[in-house]
Amino acid sequence: MRSAALLREARLRAGLTQADLAERTGRDRSVIARWEQGVVAPSVETLTDLVRACGFDLPLELVRYDASVDKELRKTAILSPERRLSTLVRDLDREEMADRG
Amino acid sequence: MAEPSPKFDPIGILAALERRRVSFIVIGGLARVIQGTGEITRGIDIVPSMKPENLRRLDAALTDLNARDSDGTAPSLEETIPNEPLLELTTDRGQIKVVPEPAGTRGYEDLRRAATREPLGAGVRSSVASVGDLARMLADLGREEDVPRLQRLRRLAEIELGRGLEL
Repeated sequence: MRSAALLREARLRAGLTQADLAERTGRDRSVIARWEQGVVAPSVETLTDLVRACGFDLPLELVRYDASVDKELRKTAILSPERRLSTLVRDLDREEMADRG
Repeated sequence: MAEPSPKFDPIGILAALERRRVSFIVIGGLARVIQGTGEITRGIDIVPSMKPENLRRLDAALTDLNARDSDGTAPSLEETIPNEPLLELTTDRGQIKVVPEPAGTRGYEDLRRAATREPLGAGVRSSVASVGDLARMLADLGREEDVPRLQRLRRLAEIELGRGLEL
């Protein structure tokens, strides 16, 4: 849930605790915690208000959706961290060999 | 003549830090790779615990790695760390950046909460910053060139959350 990550990011970048944000917005701290955990999602309007209370804005605009990025990320997501790192090292080796001609 | 760049060996650098029991969190491009963004990076960025004993251990690990700054001299952590936002070094196993307080964070103690220890091979298990914290750092830098990386991180966070809910 994108709203959860965005809300947590905005709050932490503003250096606020959940209690601080609750006080600023007149909402219950437990509700903010549930939004940040992605248990439930705030409406777009509420999310914008919360982000603004942290000193940021959330411009909403339509951009083209590139499904290939998701496909690529899903493929990487099933690899172990060790495998992701070894893939990087292998790719760097290949680049180096290509540079040498 | 400029010194040729040493071959990047992330496991070698991480193993050297772990041998000296340095408390640190991997951030930046390498952390994003470990988390699954599938990008290319040629160095390692770390956030160390700023406790004096840990900085002494870090100093020892950097000596083991033959770390040197752009002048080719060995770094003095005691002098540099309190005055510089980051320390950029070349080692025999590639580049390492020591960043005491990355953009948008309050340093090691802040990032430690959401970081996870990941098995990376050769017995190395390093603490890696969370996807959310990696996005926070990148967003706070506010650099145009980071926008695609940030978008990938945000998509990755959604995919991870979706996978978590499926379990």
